[in-house]
Amino acid sequence: MSQSLRPYLDCVRSSLTAAICLENFSSQVVERHNRPEVEAQTSPELLLNPLTISRNENEKVLIEPSINSIRISIKIKQADEIERLLVHKFTRFLTGRAEAFMILRRKPVKDYDISFLITNFHTEQMLKHKLVDFIIQFMEEVDKEISEMKLFLNARARFVAEAFLTNV
Amino acid sequence: MSHLTTPAVVMGNGTGLTKLGFAGNDSPSFIFPTVIATRQASASGSGRPPPPSKPSFMTGAGGISSAGGHLSQKRGTEDLDFFIGDEALSAASGPGYGLNYPIRHGQIENWDHMERFWENSIFKYLRCEPEDHYFLLTEPPLNPPENRELTAEIMFESFNCAGLYIAVQAVLALAASWTSSKVQDRSLTGTVIDSGDGVTHVIPVAEGYVIASAIKNIPIAGRDITYFVQSLLRDRNEPDSSLRTAEKIKEEFCYVCPDIVKEFNRFDREPERFQKYLVDQGLDKKVSVDVGYERFLAPEIFFNPEIASSDFLTPLPEVVDTVIQTSPIDVRRGLYKNIVLSGGSTMFRDFGRRLQRDIKHLVDARIHRSEELSGARSGGVDVQVISHKKQRNAVWFGGSLLAQTAEFRSYCHTKQDYDEYGPGIVRNFSLFNVP
Amino acid sequence: MLLLQYHNLLIQSILTERFSPNSQPVSIDQVISDFDNVTYHISTPESKTKILISLSIKCFNDLKKYGVEELLQREYGPYIVSAPEVGYDFSMVVDLEKLPPELDAKEALIEKIALLKRNALAAPFEKAFAQYDELAAEAAKSSLDLSVPEDSGADVMPIHYRDEESIFIKASHDRVTVIFSTVFREETDRVFGKVFLQEFVDARRRAIQNAPQVLYSHKEPPLEIRSVPGLKASDDIGYVTFVLFPRHITKDRRENCISHIQIFRDYFHYHIKCSKAYMHSRMRFRVAEFLKVLNRAKPEVAEKERKTASGRRFGAR
Repeated sequence: MSQSLRPYLDCVRSSLTAAICLENFSSQVVERHNRPEVEAQTSPELLLNPLTISRNENEKVLIEPSINSIRISIKIKQADEIERLLVHKFTRFLTGRAEAFMILRRKPVKDYDISFLITNFHTEQMLKHKLVDFIIQFMEEVDKEISEMKLFLNARARFVAEAFLTNV
Repeated sequence: MSHLTTPAVVMGNGTGLTKLGFAGNDSPSFIFPTVIATRQASASGSGRPPPPSKPSFMTGAGGISSAGGHLSQKRGTEDLDFFIGDEALSAASGPGYGLNYPIRHGQIENWDHMERFWENSIFKYLRCEPEDHYFLLTEPPLNPPENRELTAEIMFESFNCAGLYIAVQAVLALAASWTSSKVQDRSLTGTVIDSGDGVTHVIPVAEGYVIASAIKNIPIAGRDITYFVQSLLRDRNEPDSSLRTAEKIKEEFCYVCPDIVKEFNRFDREPERFQKYLVDQGLDKKVSVDVGYERFLAPEIFFNPEIASSDFLTPLPEVVDTVIQTSPIDVRRGLYKNIVLSGGSTMFRDFGRRLQRDIKHLVDARIHRSEELSGARSGGVDVQVISHKKQRNAVWFGGSLLAQTAEFRSYCHTKQDYDEYGPGIVRNFSLFNVP
Repeated sequence: MLLLQYHNLLIQSILTERFSPNSQPVSIDQVISDFDNVTYHISTPESKTKILISLSIKCFNDLKKYGVEELLQREYGPYIVSAPEVGYDFSMVVDLEKLPPELDAKEALIEKIALLKRNALAAPFEKAFAQYDELAAEAAKSSLDLSVPEDSGADVMPIHYRDEESIFIKASHDRVTVIFSTVFREETDRVFGKVFLQEFVDARRRAIQNAPQVLYSHKEPPLEIRSVPGLKASDDIGYVTFVLFPRHITKDRRENCISHIQIFRDYFHYHIKCSKAYMHSRMRFRVAEFLKVLNRAKPEVAEKERKTASGRRFGAR
């Protein structure tokens, strides 16, 4: 693990642990509704200050807390065209299966690649520290996965090219 | 665009067999088992293949340590090292490969294997560039819409196929029956009896929509008939009672009789009804097997299941009647009038005729009772079982028929549609307008 | 499957079945397609023993200019039907009753028919090789300066084998150049394609010294074909050039070389698709892993034993 990754992830972890502090809160605007305030954005007094943690300009995390929900958006490292494409493919693959990932938001927040939305209902059902663990592990593995896929692509391309050319 | 002239590809992936071919043909070009043989993890044999997260070019990155590794292993090309269909069966008889069946109970279970199965079907067997062709795939009734989405994801993202239509097998079987002379109006209303190797479905379809709540499955199908024939052969101590022989006898000699008791008597009166089947056991050894009562007894288990099975006792005609009775009342007439057979196990001679007679009995008895109770006269209900020449591959043939029509392309979802709206688009397909 | 087969498997299997001595003649009527907009029609219009095989290929008019008819005449001479079936470019009839008796000869015939598309597309290649032979002989005779400019040699032969893509072949005295124009309809394919093509270009430098030289240029057509009219200049077009040196086109390697170069585009696209399929299976695995981690967050719901007021347990149902 590189020098700056550990503190980056540690920072995200502690910020998340602090930020996931949610309570059940009914909507103030619509009677008998209960909706994630961070998405509704109707009552400014229920929103907390958003927070960006960035490792560098390509990798950052945006945490938007509110009284009953928190939105976490991740920008995944994309060094070149291939990585950009792979990230796009991968995140789309994930969001296509958002149903299974309870906390995955179907659409990322603008400028980010993937977003999670955790509401008080999630924290009531699931253990908070394990949720944080999930986010951290996700961030670690996504990078690994993307670079492995890129490596694979290059290796495969080389193999395919050589197999073709040796037979001419 | 080039794909205006290329024939559409029709692929029917079933639990047992896959049927591949091009639209417009009257039979599938390839029929082989839906099975894929993949490279097994080293010598462990039965072990699961390693997870794809660790391609061996990563694990073997030490290079020198795995010097003995085969070239393809170092490059992480195991995913190209597989066989499908008959080749898979022969590859698996040697060392190093293990068989996988990606489809279970009609539904795709292992998408990794299925994706590669399709990859090989398209590029090796059908030899077509999917970008130039439209595809018609079949799905079982009650296939969850998520499976359609996953299918579309593979077809559009991996293969960039030009257009896709996913049709329900029962509906295609109905369309296939249009070739029969008995069918006057080409409607998509009818009851489909689809009997393959593993299971028999009775599926009511009203105007192209499957009435899901009324579907019934019967655990009696081709394989059970084969086993029954085999047990009869064994009881008589025939010289050869292998499954192959039983299957051959089933296919060549069996037929449906109108009445078992009379048929027994006829066999006793006319000894020429007993036949002999010559089994070639290889090495120039030939033995002769007598073929007797199983000729009509074997298919009889559809109509009198108690002779072969102890846990399922409802005869097929009764099941069909129940299915139609549980369907909405306004389509029942149409369902009785158009009972369509599909699949290899409905190919016995006179199967349709017997079925029609038995259902007719049930229906007439019911009408008679209600006439007695109410005192009113009924106009009667028309019962018609349709058998036709294309019955064996009815589903595929129906697909081929529909995919060659001029309108087919307009019913497909294209790659552009998919890119614009996402996988959810395949949850709905507009139905074929009945010409 | 790493390399694609050159022949059409379906034709091969149909004919093998029909040709076997103990098979009953049946009627056939099948439309079969092959790569690159090729369609075959196998039928038995007259009698069950006369199999008519027709081929339709998009670039037949191009191929005609390069002597495809002579080539097909040479390969399939006795079987050719003078007037091809309507809607097809070339037809031949095989009479099951007049087959060669030997097994080998039958197999050779099957093989030959299964290679019909390959042979049709081989015409311009053969012509180019013949031109190369001539030019090479000429050059040797006049001991021409070996550093002659590129534009010497024979004319470029374009073959518009797909709607948007073409093959260009040009012979000169010391090489034969084959250029494929490639178009990607999709972004993913374009990026993957670029990675693959880069490796084709590098392969010679890195591993296989005696491979043909491969060049790739994006948007800009290579020098050899600048003069060809009707080249579309668009952002998504690319040109792959194979330079075949004399050692690749020695007499005994030519046949293999033609088959192999022809299949380049299909091979290339096949492997892009395989890579995508592999990525999918990786991603599926990754999703399953992520789900496992996420599900760990759910506390295990301990099966609380439920009892009635009198202390009796509920029986398992």
